Amino acid sequence: MNDKIIAYITDNLLYEQLDDPLTADENLLESGLIDSLGIMKLVVFIESEFEVAIPPEDMTIENFMTVNHIKEYLMLGK
Amino acid sequence: MQVCWAFKPSVAMIFSLVDIVSLNSRKFPGKDAFRFLSSALTHSELEEKSNKLAKHLKDKGVKRGFRVGIYMNRCLESAIAVYGILKAGGCYVPLDPAAPIERSRFVLKDCNIKHLVTTKNQSRKIKKLLATTTEVDCLIGCELEDMPWSFSWEDIFKLSLKDYRALQIMEQDLAYILYTSGSTGTPKGIMHTHYSALNYAKLVVDQYQFDTSDVLGSTAPLHFDMSTFGYFAAPLAGATCTLISDMHLKMPTSLVDFLKKSKITAWYSVPLILIQLLQTGLLKNEDFDTLKWVLFAGEVFPTKHLRSLMGIWKGKTFGNVYGPTEVNQCTFYNLRTAPKSDAPIPIGRVWKNTEYKILDENDKEVSEGQPGLLVIRSGTMMKGYWNNPELTKALLYQETIVPGANAVYYRTGDLVQLNTQGELLFLGRKDRQIKIRGFRIEIDEVENTLLRIADVAEVAVVVNQNNDEKVLMATVLPRDNRALDVGEIYLFCKLHLPPYAVPEQIEIWKEFPRTGTGKIDRKAIAHKLTFSKYER
Repeated sequence: MNDKIIAYITDNLLYEQLDDPLTADENLLESGLIDSLGIMKLVVFIESEFEVAIPPEDMTIENFMTVNHIKEYLMLGK
Repeated sequence: MQVCWAFKPSVAMIFSLVDIVSLNSRKFPGKDAFRFLSSALTHSELEEKSNKLAKHLKDKGVKRGFRVGIYMNRCLESAIAVYGILKAGGCYVPLDPAAPIERSRFVLKDCNIKHLVTTKNQSRKIKKLLATTTEVDCLIGCELEDMPWSFSWEDIFKLSLKDYRALQIMEQDLAYILYTSGSTGTPKGIMHTHYSALNYAKLVVDQYQFDTSDVLGSTAPLHFDMSTFGYFAAPLAGATCTLISDMHLKMPTSLVDFLKKSKITAWYSVPLILIQLLQTGLLKNEDFDTLKWVLFAGEVFPTKHLRSLMGIWKGKTFGNVYGPTEVNQCTFYNLRTAPKSDAPIPIGRVWKNTEYKILDENDKEVSEGQPGLLVIRSGTMMKGYWNNPELTKALLYQETIVPGANAVYYRTGDLVQLNTQGELLFLGRKDRQIKIRGFRIEIDEVENTLLRIADVAEVAVVVNQNNDEKVLMATVLPRDNRALDVGEIYLFCKLHLPPYAVPEQIEIWKEFPRTGTGKIDRKAIAHKLTFSKYER
């Protein structure tokens, strides 16, 4: 799951290429890696890739801060 | 009428932005000046820490007028950086950490920045930036290996102020330079002085009657002119400025929660953030009783969304704020009740210490009620464009009232019209400047960037509307039928343009529709392009 999310972010959402690969514990929201439009795209990707519906009230910092947070959120939801 | 403390006798002590902080540290030492997430900085801490940064910068060679870069997101250190640089006599130049390295490098070089202030969490990008830049020889806020000229914030805060002597800051001194999109293909720097910035802060405090009880919510990054509201107007009112984190802006649901807990009394953002808050559907469940002012600027707020928001947030005053970066703010339009129709709301009337004219193509004033180009004269006006007196001259309109004392207006390039109530209506642009998510973009800059690709012969960049969002789209013609790769063009854009100026859609065409005179028919291109045909 992590690899799929990281691959999607790296290929589609990053502002520019990184020297080191993106890690699962890197802050996606604060670091200036992805803009707000990118976050929306990520949510759409996760919904279709993992066949889940993410309601607006779940779109929080706690659930989306890092790839690990996203994974934890998806695991709990299922 | 309530009288703000800033206009009691003590206002006579404020001649520059740095005087605000010094005065506050004596009047309200223990009160929060800035808040960020769960931490805060009191007025006395801001005074002491910014003095320490100023001392260090002076020791490292900063002199009056030196440009000092700030490379960080909103955080408490950003306030220390702003006032520390100003106290050293420097002029701060905010760099966008989300911008491509090449753009930051351009800014560093363009205004010769030797000192850069940052934070530890920017270290990845800072290393990349410094690896290809020779300008910078003093880095503050991030200690890096093999760089004896880099210092941590802890190093700075350990300094003693025993032999520190404050520099006399003059109101004519340069305070900051904001870079914005330039039509030639490179960004241009807008210079503001302590005088213009302080005038802006005074007008905000007067217009919205802010006082020590207020908590102002600031959402704008430092490189965006809307940031001066939080960094300058809030301290002038003796109010607290809450710097809202990027994390919250990207996660509207968390922002609703934060807004509720932070007891903000005045909000200021681009309309998009308010629309995102509205679209969470969570606003109606909460009580935001401390919130009095909801101010927005940067681009047009679609009236239907404004009306929905006003339907939920009853009893608050909404304020449409207008003004190009060159003049900070210049007009205001406040609403207590929601507009009845979907017609765009006015940008309103000019505030104090400001006057305007509406001119035709030949610089003659139009007759009342006719559309024309807005020119503005105000105490909040910029000094000019950095290192570009020709452009400065071209965008100023001068009128001789008394020989030797010309009235100097800034040509906004905005088309406006006066309505029957004497309010200004914004009609659009005379050139190809657009706003996306509040950010100012010259389409010519995007086109000129694409033209730098060797195999590209011609380009046409157009704006299409996708629901409420404006979307940039590019079409390119290859040179001599050479093979072009969309992915590579996209990458080139990402390396040379800020994220908001990168076209959402790029297509390679064989030919362009042309008008009778052979010009590229951009209207026809915009029509032909439909969103999401090309998934990048």
